[in-house]
Amino acid sequence: MSNQSSVEIQTEWDIVAARQLGRNVAKELGFGTVDQARITTAISELARNIYLYAGQGRIEIQRLTENGINGILIIAADNGPGIPDIRKVMEDGFSTSGGLGAGLPGVKRLMDDFKIETTLGEGTDIRATKWLR
Amino acid sequence: MNVRIPILKLRDTLIVSIQWELDDQTAIQFQEDLLTKLHETSARGVVIDLTSIDFIDSFIAKVLGDVISMSSLMGARVVITGIQPAVAITLIELGIRLEDVMTALDLENGLDKLQLELEA
Amino acid sequence: MNKQMARYIQENMTEIISNWQEMMKNEKGERSFEVMPAELMDQTSREFAELMTSNLLESHQAYESRLNDFAEKVVRYGWSITFVTKAINHFGEIVFAGMERDGVINSDNLRAFAEEFNKWITPIRDSTIDTYSKTWERTVSLQKIALQELSASLIPVFDKVSVMPLVGTIDTERARLIMENLLEGVVKHRAEVILLDITGVPVVDTMVAHHIIQAADAVRLVGAKCMLVGIRPEIAQTIVTLGINLNEFTTTSTLQRGVEQALAWTNRKIVEVDEV
Repeated sequence: MSNQSSVEIQTEWDIVAARQLGRNVAKELGFGTVDQARITTAISELARNIYLYAGQGRIEIQRLTENGINGILIIAADNGPGIPDIRKVMEDGFSTSGGLGAGLPGVKRLMDDFKIETTLGEGTDIRATKWLR
Repeated sequence: MNVRIPILKLRDTLIVSIQWELDDQTAIQFQEDLLTKLHETSARGVVIDLTSIDFIDSFIAKVLGDVISMSSLMGARVVITGIQPAVAITLIELGIRLEDVMTALDLENGLDKLQLELEA
Repeated sequence: MNKQMARYIQENMTEIISNWQEMMKNEKGERSFEVMPAELMDQTSREFAELMTSNLLESHQAYESRLNDFAEKVVRYGWSITFVTKAINHFGEIVFAGMERDGVINSDNLRAFAEEFNKWITPIRDSTIDTYSKTWERTVSLQKIALQELSASLIPVFDKVSVMPLVGTIDTERARLIMENLLEGVVKHRAEVILLDITGVPVVDTMVAHHIIQAADAVRLVGAKCMLVGIRPEIAQTIVTLGINLNEFTTTSTLQRGVEQALAWTNRKIVEVDEV
């Protein structure tokens, strides 16, 4: 089985496809129900961000092994407008879409590691990892 | 495959059991259907059971929150029942507190709570 | 030269050990030796001396196994790593001084012997520290598991009412575990009111309070109600001083009053009955 798979995000339906893929991989890796919910939710948030702000992009799910510990890596990549002020979007309660403002800080709390790289006019690349304890 | 969520009426209460993962369209459709049904039936209470739902993201949470506020504007109290532990934990970690939302362990409890609330 | 050193140590073992013990006892701020019974101290000292000569005489394998045994032992006895390092240095100093006094080491071979001593002591010190820290790490991780097993179970006390006693310091990892146990327990026992008893929590700072508030929020979402009980006077003081807002919480000082309140919430109360 390949340890990497991805979903192109173009429509709202692709958000559902992305989180289903993530949930299946999380289940196969042996994550418990709470972590499965955390991973699925994080993917849903990231996929929705792509759909809302970049129009299209890609969610990639990878299995990881580091120092004998398994994990799951979510990569959310798009070629959208980029994020002008990362500090601001990482603040709790900041949202430009009129959602509940959970957004990226929420995703960061759900996962173990969180990295974001963004360039104005070129796109955004977010990597979030959850380790199997 | 745009499926509608069935809304049942029992005396003056509407009962909704969400049985599968909500996509955005279904969620919004549900919001409209529920408000229409409230208007038609002038029900005073709504129970939304989420026992089968294994995750809620901020979008679904927002739709639910909106449904509750809108229903209350139309004079109906909403109880959310059966939120799974994993779902509750993710919601809290996401930073979504769903304040002022009535909750109950299951449908039965929810109906009891609603009854008490409506009698008061 | 190795043979000379080893022979000297073996011939003068008793004297070296007693000098060494004297030196170690004089180490300030170390209670490891004072609290040890004399018999155990003698035995440990002898094992230590054997370990020190082992890498002069025995095979590498025998030395490794002695080293592991010894490191495990001193971790268990609670010797600090500073104390262990000093023990090794002092042992070397005593042997060196003794050999100098007996004329085995003289001005002609001083430099060569100093080098030899260095080659003898340094690997022992390095590997002891290494083994010591590995043993220590293993002890810590075992304790961590023990602590997790100890963490938080939900105890049903009445129909619809459960208690979760929290004991010990709450860090982020434990807080997660507590939250999961708490919510699974609520659903499993169909509890409507949960009493979180923090009598056994030594410190409630902003972080701990934050975890407790989050847990209570999550409990509310699954459809139950949380009450914080067991608030000691000093905890009440720190909570207010830190400006932590627990206003949304029902809180009581004792578990007993909490139980009464929980019964009231579920429309029940405890009544005394006449003797029959």
